[in-house]
Amino acid sequence: MWMFRLRRLRYRRRVAGTALHRCWQAPLPNTGKDWRQVSYLVVDAEMSSLDVSDGELLSVGWVGVEAGAIRLDSARHYLVKAENSVGQSAAIHSLRDCELVEADTGAVVLERFLQVAAGKVLVFHNAALDMAFLNRVSRQAFNAPVLLPVIDTLLQEEALLRRRGQPIKPGDLRLHACRERYNLPPYQGHNALQDALATAELLLAMAAHRGGRQSFTLGQLL
Amino acid sequence: MSDDSGTQVAAAPESPLPRLAVPELVPVAEFLEQSLPFNELPRAELYQVVDKILVQYHCRGDVFNRGTMEAGLRIVRSGAVEIRDSDNKLLDRLGEGESFHIGGLNAERGEVQATVIEDALLYLLPDPVYRGLREGNRGFDRYFSGQRSRRLRRAARYQPEPNIMMQEVRTVMSTDLLTVQSTDSVQRAAQVMAQRRVSSAFVMEGDRLAGIMTDRDLRVRFVAPALPPETRVREIMTPDPETIDASQSIFATTLLMTQRSYHHLPVMVDGELGGIVTTSDLILAKQDDPVYLVQHISRQHDIEGIKGLVSGMANLMVQWVNSGMRAQQVSQILTAISDAVTVRLIGLAEEKLGPAPVPWCWLGFGSQARAEQLLGADQDNGIIIDDSVEPEQLPWFESLANFVCDGLNECGYVYCPGDIMARTPEWRQPLSAWRQKVRRWVTTPTPDAAMRVSIFFDLRSIHGSVGLCQQLQETMLTQSSGNSIFLAALAANALDTRPPLGIFRRFVLDRDGEHRDYLDLKKRGVLPITEMVRLRALANRISAVNTDERLRALVHEKHMTIVDSRNLVDALNFIQHQRINHQCGQIVRGEKVTNFINPKDLPKMAKEQLRDAFTIIDDAQSAVRQTYRAGMG
Repeated sequence: MWMFRLRRLRYRRRVAGTALHRCWQAPLPNTGKDWRQVSYLVVDAEMSSLDVSDGELLSVGWVGVEAGAIRLDSARHYLVKAENSVGQSAAIHSLRDCELVEADTGAVVLERFLQVAAGKVLVFHNAALDMAFLNRVSRQAFNAPVLLPVIDTLLQEEALLRRRGQPIKPGDLRLHACRERYNLPPYQGHNALQDALATAELLLAMAAHRGGRQSFTLGQLL
Repeated sequence: MSDDSGTQVAAAPESPLPRLAVPELVPVAEFLEQSLPFNELPRAELYQVVDKILVQYHCRGDVFNRGTMEAGLRIVRSGAVEIRDSDNKLLDRLGEGESFHIGGLNAERGEVQATVIEDALLYLLPDPVYRGLREGNRGFDRYFSGQRSRRLRRAARYQPEPNIMMQEVRTVMSTDLLTVQSTDSVQRAAQVMAQRRVSSAFVMEGDRLAGIMTDRDLRVRFVAPALPPETRVREIMTPDPETIDASQSIFATTLLMTQRSYHHLPVMVDGELGGIVTTSDLILAKQDDPVYLVQHISRQHDIEGIKGLVSGMANLMVQWVNSGMRAQQVSQILTAISDAVTVRLIGLAEEKLGPAPVPWCWLGFGSQARAEQLLGADQDNGIIIDDSVEPEQLPWFESLANFVCDGLNECGYVYCPGDIMARTPEWRQPLSAWRQKVRRWVTTPTPDAAMRVSIFFDLRSIHGSVGLCQQLQETMLTQSSGNSIFLAALAANALDTRPPLGIFRRFVLDRDGEHRDYLDLKKRGVLPITEMVRLRALANRISAVNTDERLRALVHEKHMTIVDSRNLVDALNFIQHQRINHQCGQIVRGEKVTNFINPKDLPKMAKEQLRDAFTIIDDAQSAVRQTYRAGMG
């Protein structure tokens, strides 16, 4: 966690007084704690392209995990106002331009996000992609990246399969395939919040399986 | 969490329909709507509680009990949970869509424990919210205060009596007393004992109990010292034996008998000799144990006695199932019991008719032969007589068959509606006639004949000469294995009943409709499997009769893949398990035992598994169609 403190230091002056600054003021979680004693915010985002240089953020969904349980009362889903046309990707996430036009700007959604993310560990399935888009919005708004601790369930699962010496076929690390390995039920995907909920369930399953009955620390999940 | 609310897109036109603040939670609400008793809740109320839910994941082996911190109703979203009481007796198995409240169960039943038996995703409805729903909604409340707990109580009522040792000894004593006079000769007394098949006799002087004479007394005090046959009973009996009062407990009796090494103890009722208790009576007091039930049957002296024991079988089955016995074991035991009843009836008939004039064999057909019987089975049997039989000896077999078939009917194994019984002349013949019959069936099979005789190809010797049964079976396998026309006829019969996959599809579409589809688990589930496996066994000259053993032999001789065979075994066991569970429910409710279930009544998981089982049958039928009916449609 000292890494975050160090990197945040660089941006301290730039973000002073912003929502990002307030978010950073919350204490960073202790990596030695049992995973159940840590608060998580499981997040998923939809974008118009997988390439951060020409795509833009379309929607964000998140749900909180407290004391080892998903709290459905914390589930939120926000659309992000499109700057360009959604184009071809509408077929995938069924978001239409007319809906996106009335939505909030990326900066407003990010501010809400930072409010609830304070003091929590972020969880994504394939964090690099979502974080790239979130960081871009953050840089535009605050001139600084988000800089919060992140768990990536995809990387966790990949490392686990490698440790077990299992060959990894294309598609094995997709959210559906990972959930199947833990006997989680099928779900309807392709909505940021539904994917976030599905990822949260996967997080619980992974931690429960790796932790067994003993204590399993946050550090082992990061 | 902050209290801002999500911006809703696709803003709803003014609509009276309740809406969830977060539409992405609709799948959760839909899941609950399909689960009892949430289906009772008006949608508006349901929607108010959806976001109060906590989602938790538990690995196999995780336990919930009184010590579990978070109180509330736990709804199984996926996986499975088992509920057992403090004696570790299984009360319930829960699958998808079913729920439990550990605190509520504890309040009602004492120390109840729930264990995750398949990795489970659980929805936890916190206690205050759960209580709110119960208070505000009668239908919802009734489910928890009424039906649910009744079901658990019913299960509890059939708990095996834990304090059997505290019951009065009169409940296990034998009242069928053999008395001799002290002045009788020892030889005479021994003859009577042998005749009655007892190991002890009371020695009376007038009305007074003067002593007891046991096998041991005979050995030690009569045979060993080589006394003359006319010795008086008085001289070798154990005089003035210790007695016990009938109101004493079985425990006290056992203690007395072990301390003094008694094997027999006279029991006094109101100061007079009323019965005797032996060490084996005490062992048999553990009546819920199937082994002893079988032994008990073999000790009965009349049909009434057998009937009395068999009538308790239904309740015993509920106990066995509650204590976690698997379907296969249950049917094995039920078959062992019907074997024991048959053998005992044959013994009683022989006592009446004298010994058989020539070697013979009593055959069991169908489920009895396969050791796959359940409750309510009718009788299917026959007799093979050795070819040396003379015409004037045949009436002995007719009398025996009538006695045994009538006895079976009286004991609840009702007459076979198709008359496949030893009392029908057609099914009571010398070996050569049986063989001729088999050849005729096999060479000119009609669809009707194939259906009628298929049951007969599962046969097992229940009593008498095993050799006769083996010779007949050998004929059957030789005749049928190479005969593709006969096999095709059997295949047509096996394919006659298609598994009812449609019922599930309709079920999904018409969840709340009023359709009343009942499913005959035996006809639609069990018979297609046994028929296909029998066909393959006959075609490949496999002499095993039990379906499981047939499948193992088919795999061993490489006529079937391990996967296919395991699938069929699993499907059969699962369907039998459902049948047994269903029958236990009917017994507990005091209903007539049937094989008809309404899929609507099954928990979600069982429904899914049943559909899997039927899909396996469907696949296996396709394979049979290709192999044995190619080009015949």
